[in-house]
Amino acid sequence: MPPKIGVYLCHCYGVIGKILDLEKLSHQAGKWRGVAVSVHCPALCSDDGLEVIAEDVRQGRVDRVVVGACSPAVHRDTFLRLARQVGLNEHFLERCNLREQCTRAHRDQPALAMAKARNLLKMAVGRLSPAESFEPVSSSTSRSVLVVGGGIAGLTAAENLARAGVNVTLVEKSPFLGGKVARLHRYYPRFCSPRCGLEVLMARLLATGRVTVHTLTEVTGVRGTAGNFTVELLKQPRYVKDTCTGCGACLEVCPVEVAPSAVLPPGRQRAIEGPGLFPYPLNYAVNRVFCRGKSCSRCVEVCPAGAIDLDQEEDRLRIGVDAIILAAGWEPYDAGRINNYGYGRLPGVITNMDLEVLARPDGPTGGQLIRPHDKKPVRRVAFIQCAGSRDKQHLAYCSGVCCAATLKQIDYVRAVAPEAGIFVFYMDIRTPGNLEELYRRAREEHGAVFIRGNPYAVEWDPVAEELVVTADDTLSGSRVAVRAELVVLATGMVPCAVPAFERLEKDTTGFITGHLPCSPIEVRRAGIYVAGCAQEPMDVSTSVKSALAAAAECLATIQNQSVAVPPVVERHKCDRCGRCVEECPYGACSFDTDGYPAVNPLACRGCGICQGGCPLRCIYLPGFSSREMAGLIEAVDPGSMDEQPCVLAFLCANDAYPALDLAGTRGTSYGANILTVRVPCVGAVNAGWINDALLSGIDGVLVVGCRTTECHYGRGTSLAESRVNNLRETLQRMLVEPERVQVLTAGIEDGQSLVAAIKRFVKQLQELGPNPFKE
Amino acid sequence: MPPKVNLQKCDGCRAESEALCVQICPGDLMALDENNGKAYCRSARDCWDCMSCVKACPNGAIETRLPYQLGYYPAKLIPLVGSNKISWTVVDIHGKVERFTFKNRND
Repeated sequence: MPPKIGVYLCHCYGVIGKILDLEKLSHQAGKWRGVAVSVHCPALCSDDGLEVIAEDVRQGRVDRVVVGACSPAVHRDTFLRLARQVGLNEHFLERCNLREQCTRAHRDQPALAMAKARNLLKMAVGRLSPAESFEPVSSSTSRSVLVVGGGIAGLTAAENLARAGVNVTLVEKSPFLGGKVARLHRYYPRFCSPRCGLEVLMARLLATGRVTVHTLTEVTGVRGTAGNFTVELLKQPRYVKDTCTGCGACLEVCPVEVAPSAVLPPGRQRAIEGPGLFPYPLNYAVNRVFCRGKSCSRCVEVCPAGAIDLDQEEDRLRIGVDAIILAAGWEPYDAGRINNYGYGRLPGVITNMDLEVLARPDGPTGGQLIRPHDKKPVRRVAFIQCAGSRDKQHLAYCSGVCCAATLKQIDYVRAVAPEAGIFVFYMDIRTPGNLEELYRRAREEHGAVFIRGNPYAVEWDPVAEELVVTADDTLSGSRVAVRAELVVLATGMVPCAVPAFERLEKDTTGFITGHLPCSPIEVRRAGIYVAGCAQEPMDVSTSVKSALAAAAECLATIQNQSVAVPPVVERHKCDRCGRCVEECPYGACSFDTDGYPAVNPLACRGCGICQGGCPLRCIYLPGFSSREMAGLIEAVDPGSMDEQPCVLAFLCANDAYPALDLAGTRGTSYGANILTVRVPCVGAVNAGWINDALLSGIDGVLVVGCRTTECHYGRGTSLAESRVNNLRETLQRMLVEPERVQVLTAGIEDGQSLVAAIKRFVKQLQELGPNPFKE
Repeated sequence: MPPKVNLQKCDGCRAESEALCVQICPGDLMALDENNGKAYCRSARDCWDCMSCVKACPNGAIETRLPYQLGYYPAKLIPLVGSNKISWTVVDIHGKVERFTFKNRND
């Protein structure tokens, strides 16, 4: 059935109508092949204007519509709503920019503006004639998610998703849930015990009945894409069966003492460990590293439930999930690497995490503030902030929470030692928002002394048996030496490495921050979300918030209410070379069982980079098939520009197209010989279209995108540049001037500089003369 | 004469199941060099200059070396593939340039 195209031109209440002779244009358009109706109206966006189009569609006079009016960036919803109301597929609606990029920019050249408008309309008709209609695609999902990490972020995300009806598998590398938060003594701002919050969270999680927990389990492999991940899990043996009652008899007889950290003495910890104050799971676990094995077996003999089985083996599992939330958390920076502070070398030097262990009533000192190695009472404590942070030789970044953590710990010290001297060596105290209250309390109520200087050494005085911290006080200008029994290093956070996710992109800090600021939770690999300290250093409140954000993003993927159409593959043309699979920045394209590319609608972001790279032009987003683009390019009449060079420009929808619209809106004038095509990203521009343009006699082709580092899809501009460079080399060999094809970049507000660059390009073309292929 | 591969432009069709020139050569003469991952012609004598590889390469990295009987330096024969047309630029030994554009049905 031949298409029945309706061309509707808008006067825009005179803005367009005063420059262009719309009567003449619509009369000419009415004669083109495929055009059934061609009219002009005072304002197409008004109810009357919309009704004109609607009536034609309803009566079957037209089945495809060209709207020649304002920029497609404006009134997007107006015309989409119209299309939906009359049952017109949105891919049969083509917008033609006759305002911002025509009449507004070429007020002083009405004749050329007419020629440009005629060309633009003809391009729209040429593109719409072979167009196809598409409906959004949805795929079936099993509504299941994997959460990696059983700390507070992982548990929060799992609970939230489970409450929303999703089946969650939660894996945790250590034997028990709770992560670092379960080991804290108190957390701010309320100074309550973390076990309370964790218990409430755990109760809600268990109540959903939809969370399967695997402890002592790691992810060893991930394959697939959003909606269809296959994950390999390795479960280490616990050596304790589910009949364990948590009585602790094994702990009493175990001969191996285990120290909680490099500098703390062993307390009650042994080679078999119990869950401590947060019993999830309840079962004890044997620590393979320290346990002496079957040659000892004292725990096996004493266990009243016969729950210990030293013959257990590791287990491998494979699960299929729709999405993954990575909440693997953090590790403290290794303070032993800060040589001049003597961690691990000098007695009494501990980290802030060590102090949390000491402060707990079940810690090695029973919660009293005494020096761990010799039980000497602590009369003076010195905290060193930024230990190994904001330092080129250690961690270059700030971990953000160490200041507030130290201020919280000052509270601990005061609670058990009201007379102790407290000194804080700092560079800056970073306590945003109401955490300032912690700072005020530390100074005014707890009497802590703040010394603004980064200590260059912590030394041991063997005579007095105390530590000496030396620093330059930058506020008073004098050298300060503080003697203390205990020195606490506030070290920073480093992300826990999960080898299966090693290739996810990280920023310079090593954390998986995502694409800031637009999508912090989702990484480039669609379907994988990051929560908690795996994303960046953060305190507990922020971890919980980020976990909820990850759950919300994850849910949007799983609910799968697709609104976009993924690229279409023309299998009869495809030779299965795999370039689209290779170049997709999101890994959304993969090979199906026949070896042809298949795009996952849940993972596709619609950038079109696959279509830009396809050597055979057989994968395309709706509207960009090779027939539609050939129809568009061949509709251009390169000789209609009145001796001016004819330029075809592909502009990316994110920055370049709006920038040129902005130039028009501001009234900046430039030559009307530039014909523009809007593409989702310049990575979507196929070299074949540029070839078509040159072979049709178009004098020059511009590819204008976002600046290389600002491309919304990451690699669009750099791909466009490398493709154009390859083409230019070929053009040179063919004795066609390579300067005829150029890549430009612009920011969304750079209308003026873009217009200047375009003018330079046109001038260059004028010097080069007409295209050798021009008739 | 065997096709000449521009090693800067050739990317070995990285990570793809089969390089395009390797796939399309009717004589199975193109291969990827193990050392640098780029394409090369394995058997110069057997190449009959069909130029399928030249047209297939997405980066335009392959150029034909014309047999001297047809035209020695500076003669050239270079195709440019569009969506539904192909253009041949012919440069003869005197440097005269002619261009022929043909429509095809490859869209």
